[in-house]
Formats: sequence, structure tokens, C-alpha cells
Amino acid sequence: MSDQVFDKNSKKNVIQFAFLLSIICSLLITGAASGLKELQQENIKLDKKINILKAANLITGKQKPPKDVIVNLYKDHIQEVIVDNSGKTIDKETPESMHLYFYQTHNMINGYILPINSKGLWGKIRGYLAFENDGQTVSGFSVFSHSETPGLGGEIENAWFRKNFKGKKILNSQNNFVSVGIAKGKVKNLPTNLQDHYVDGISGATLTGQYLSEGIKTTLAKYEPVSISFRQKNLKAMDIHQNKE
Amino acid sequence: MLNETSRYKEILVKGIWSENPVAYQVLGICSALAVTVKLSTAIVMSLALTLVTAFSSMIISSMRKKIPSNIRIIAELAIIASLVIVTDEILKAFFYDISKQLSIFVGLIITNCIVLGRAEAFALANNPVDSFIDGIANGLGYSLVLIAVAFLRELLGTGQCLGFMVIPDFIYDSGYQNMGLMVLAPGAFFIIGLLVWLKNSLAGISHEKR
Repeated sequence: MSDQVFDKNSKKNVIQFAFLLSIICSLLITGAASGLKELQQENIKLDKKINILKAANLITGKQKPPKDVIVNLYKDHIQEVIVDNSGKTIDKETPESMHLYFYQTHNMINGYILPINSKGLWGKIRGYLAFENDGQTVSGFSVFSHSETPGLGGEIENAWFRKNFKGKKILNSQNNFVSVGIAKGKVKNLPTNLQDHYVDGISGATLTGQYLSEGIKTTLAKYEPVSISFRQKNLKAMDIHQNKE
Repeated sequence: MLNETSRYKEILVKGIWSENPVAYQVLGICSALAVTVKLSTAIVMSLALTLVTAFSSMIISSMRKKIPSNIRIIAELAIIASLVIVTDEILKAFFYDISKQLSIFVGLIITNCIVLGRAEAFALANNPVDSFIDGIANGLGYSLVLIAVAFLRELLGTGQCLGFMVIPDFIYDSGYQNMGLMVLAPGAFFIIGLLVWLKNSLAGISHEKR
């Protein structure tokens, strides 16, 4: 025992302690963040691919396939393309260009996948909405990242909610653009002429539904030129390849 | 040795039952409302919180003689927050699926009053091993309530247990309906209130003076 009692409340110790603690904590956090960054980025990339494949219904069920299967599926079937604001495929990015993905098998385009970037209740919702090559029928939906309340708005990433989108139309019977939205409650309680354009809502997550409906509508409106060219059937076959090569 | 084990046992019993963090100390209510719609999320949250409470209590306790009392809360929070962030980064790198499932829970752990509450009430005055056990005990106590609430809410609200339908169809056919209230936050208020009442009357505890 030393004679001089250690005074933890002395000004010197307060400053020293605060200084040391902040240095150690920040070193720890930056160390972890930058040291693991590459691994994390790889995970995010893979997850993006998984969700694009999910939207295209190439991955179904709860089981997650091994990594090389995912990478191969993606390579074989998905092609990322850039289009200008009139829906034509172009080679280089321009300020108005948009990204989307074609889903193809044996040089036939079976459909296209649009990235959805929507506002959510607590943060951004990012996901993918896939269409058949008729340019109006939704074939799948997946959520890549969100920060909604788990168990309420967070349900948007679950299979039961996502599979509701399959078969919905973005055109009404007069062939006008109406988008797809999230209903308040069950779709079967809606008037019959609206049932094709809505999916079942999540109870307790009305706001998430509203934001997501809005986000989907804005995205779809923006990509409407692409959908139109699919409806006119002039994007079905090989013209992307010709453009690319 | 015998003395030690009985002391550990006492800490465990206190944390899990007699001074249960949710029912007796009324801490951690906000997350108990938010994550108990489904059993699976409640279990993940319970696990994460138990581990974080245990380790943060242990670290804070081992530094308790050095932490100046006037900045102790900031210091405690800095330690807890760093611990949670580092854990989150590790999860993101090696267990990406789990980390996606946890989503905002990780952030919720930092703000959970139990972690700071135990650091303040126990770790600052006890040795690291005791504090670690106290953290585990309080984490388990919290888990107990959380899982009970989540089980009831999922069962009554959606007729499911861990995502599987457990209420048979003939009950629905005879007129039974899911309680929509249970899925919403008020449902948790009622259930937590009733559980606290039940637990405290079972244990004969009253916060009022007799």
C-alpha cells in the first residue's frame, strides 16, 4: 500500500481517463470496421445477388444455396443493363441513365428486374421488383435492406408478404399505368377492379405500407419507358446483345 | 468455495426471479414492447442482450476503481456502445444472415436500460466475476419475461408459435378469431402489466410500504 491514496476523482485523472477511454474505444471501433470491411462488402454483394435471384424466382424456399451456386445462377441468368430515360439500352452511364437487370435464359429475355428505392418509416427500403416480359405482370419482389420495426414493418422481407406480389398487374383494364400498392388490410376486402393492383397489408404497419406503395409507384413511373418497350415486344430477343457487342 | 457458489446462486436467483429486471426493476420495457410480436425475434434479442449485459458489466467492474464518478455514465455508455458496435461489425462480417435478422436490435441493446442499470447498480460496487454472473442473471430474467410475452402475443395475435400454426382449424371454424390487438403495442402493455402483477403477487413483493 502506498501512502498516497489514488484519487480517481482528481481533475488529472478525469481528463486522463476520458482521453484514454476515447482513444481505446475509437481504435477498437475503427479497427473492427476497417479490418472487416472487405468481408462485409462481399457479404453485401452476395446478398444483393441473392435478392435479385429471389425476385426472379430463381431462388425459392427458405434454404440458402451455397455461394458458388448463387454466383453461377447469377452469371447465367442475370444481366445488368443501363438504359436512358426513353428506355433504350446504352453502353455508358449518363446522369439520366437508370440501372436494371434482365432475366434471361438461352438468349431469351424472360423478364426484367427493377431496383426499388423507397422511403420507409424509419429508413430507406431497398429491394427488387421483377416483371414478366409482357411489361405489366409482376413476377416477384424481394427486400434487400430496410430498417422497419421487426415483427411489424419488418415483415416486408418475409416470404408470405413477398409472394403476394406475384401475378399482380401494373396496368388496369384500360391499359393505363396504375402501379401496385400495399392495401390496408386484406386484398379480398377491396373492390374487385382493384384486387389485381394491391397486395395484402401488414397489420400494425400501415405507414410502412404507404411509404412502400409510394416508393414502388415512383420507381415504376420512372421505368415506365422500359416497361412500354417490353409491352411493344421490341426488347424481348437479342437487341441488348447487339447493343453491347 | 461453498460460500462462493451459494453467493453466485443468490445473484442468479435475484436477477432471474426475485428482482427480475422487467417485473421488479421495470427496466427494458421499451424493447420488451417492440420485439415481442414474434417469438423468434424475442429469442434473438434475449440472447444478444444477455451476452452484452454480462460482458459490459464485467469490463466496467474491472475498471470500477479507475472510473471517475463524475463522468462514470459517459464512460459506461462509451464502453457499452463500443462493445455493441464491435459485435455488430463481427456479425456483419462472419454471420451476415444473423446480423440481418438482428437489424435494429443491435442498436436497441445500447439504449436498453438494463445494461446501464446493472452497470450502475451492481458492477460499480462488485468484483468482475460477480458482475458477469449478475449480467447473465439479469439477461436471463429479461429473457424470461420477453419470451413469455412474445409467446402469448404470437399465440393470441396470429395463432402461431415460432411461425407454425398451433391453433387448429376447427377452433377457427367454430368462431374463434385472432386478437388483432395483440399484434400492436397496446397488447404488449396489457400482457406485461398482467405478468408483472402475477409475478409480484406470486413472490409476495410489493413496492408499497405495508
